[in-house]
Amino acid sequence: MLPVTAAALAVLAALLAWPVPALLGRARWPGRDPLVALVCWQALGLAGGLSIIGALLVHGLAPWGSSLPGAWWSWIRGEPAGGAVRGDHWVAMTLAAVLALELVGVLALSWYRTARTRRRHRQLLELVVAPGAEPDTRLLEHPAPVAFCIPGARPLLVLSSGMVAELGEAELAAVVAHERAHLREHHHLYLLPFVAWEAALPVLPAAGRAHAAVRELVEMRADDAALPELGGADPRRTLARAIVAAAGRPGGAEVPGGALAVTGGAVRARVVRLLEPPASLPRSGRIAALGSAGLLLLLPTALLLLPAL
Amino acid sequence: MPCELPDRRPVNTLGELERSVLEHLWAVGTPVTATRLRDEFADRALALTTVHTVLTRLEQKGFVAHDESRPRQFQAVGTREEHVAGLMHEVLGQAGDRQAALARFVGSVNDDEARLLRELLAGDGR
Repeated sequence: MLPVTAAALAVLAALLAWPVPALLGRARWPGRDPLVALVCWQALGLAGGLSIIGALLVHGLAPWGSSLPGAWWSWIRGEPAGGAVRGDHWVAMTLAAVLALELVGVLALSWYRTARTRRRHRQLLELVVAPGAEPDTRLLEHPAPVAFCIPGARPLLVLSSGMVAELGEAELAAVVAHERAHLREHHHLYLLPFVAWEAALPVLPAAGRAHAAVRELVEMRADDAALPELGGADPRRTLARAIVAAAGRPGGAEVPGGALAVTGGAVRARVVRLLEPPASLPRSGRIAALGSAGLLLLLPTALLLLPAL
Repeated sequence: MPCELPDRRPVNTLGELERSVLEHLWAVGTPVTATRLRDEFADRALALTTVHTVLTRLEQKGFVAHDESRPRQFQAVGTREEHVAGLMHEVLGQAGDRQAALARFVGSVNDDEARLLRELLAGDGR
């Protein structure tokens, strides 16, 4: 019966809202392969959304059929329900629609707002930056050591004069390579869903933790992606030196310290990871992780499309 | 007949004009009229309306302000350093950070953490 399917989806949704993200957040293996971990987080988010909306939809449409597609079809055609239709069925259907609209809407709004912020920052920066040492970098006259990139259609990679003064040539190359990796791999797209859902669900601590985890993984991935571009005897150490030099210089009141979620611990984790690189994930581990992600998406999809248990 | 070199005028895109006008206003430091600016940039042969457009856009972005004298005089709001400092606060501040509008290489850490990090580097001593 469909109510059993609804319950199964509800259980899945609850698992994906709390224990599973907590486990992934605490796991050690993501540091060994940040890219695979990022894929897992995306799958988790998507599966969570599918599960909760699916649970409500299946419960709401249960009186109309024994499989979701069939019940949906029957309801759309205005056929009378096979079983008793109670108030909670209507509530569930409405809630499913509202939630679906809200999740998509929040995503779209977040995308729009972020794009607008980026455009504004870019316009203001372009008035005050000078050409940098490399053709794709820009120099900003400011004593604090900062480096950042604004992703999007017209990316901007900025180094401050303070950064250039503080770091050596090799370290600067490491910083630029790291930022270029962010732009090349479009990391801002990995972050978008988690930015949006944290903004939409501030009451859910898991949303904030997920965002923080994805943020850290994106930085680790950029570190990994930058290393092949660097020459020298020990590119890992060079990048670690760049991080320590940039983080350690007190910007003081000149510049905001940094992200709400990025504590000293996260910076330390990055440096340790570079100085003592963990063994990379074996093929079996990668397959297991990606397989689990696939399964995570397959499960609610199957529950939604197949005839009731 | 000797060949003539192509006319080497600077590119007159709006963005580039905004930069040039702003640089000029920062350099001059005192209020100027739009007419005066047009004359200063005589080599670019700008129309007065173009100059006004550029000044309006700079005003909208908060870099320039005008006074109520006739003719209007325009002046840069604050120095370049003040603007950059303000811009850094906005770009790297919490609001933009929440939206993940940019990717920052690393934030700054407190003194204890900084010391720990340096020890890590040293301890790995090679």
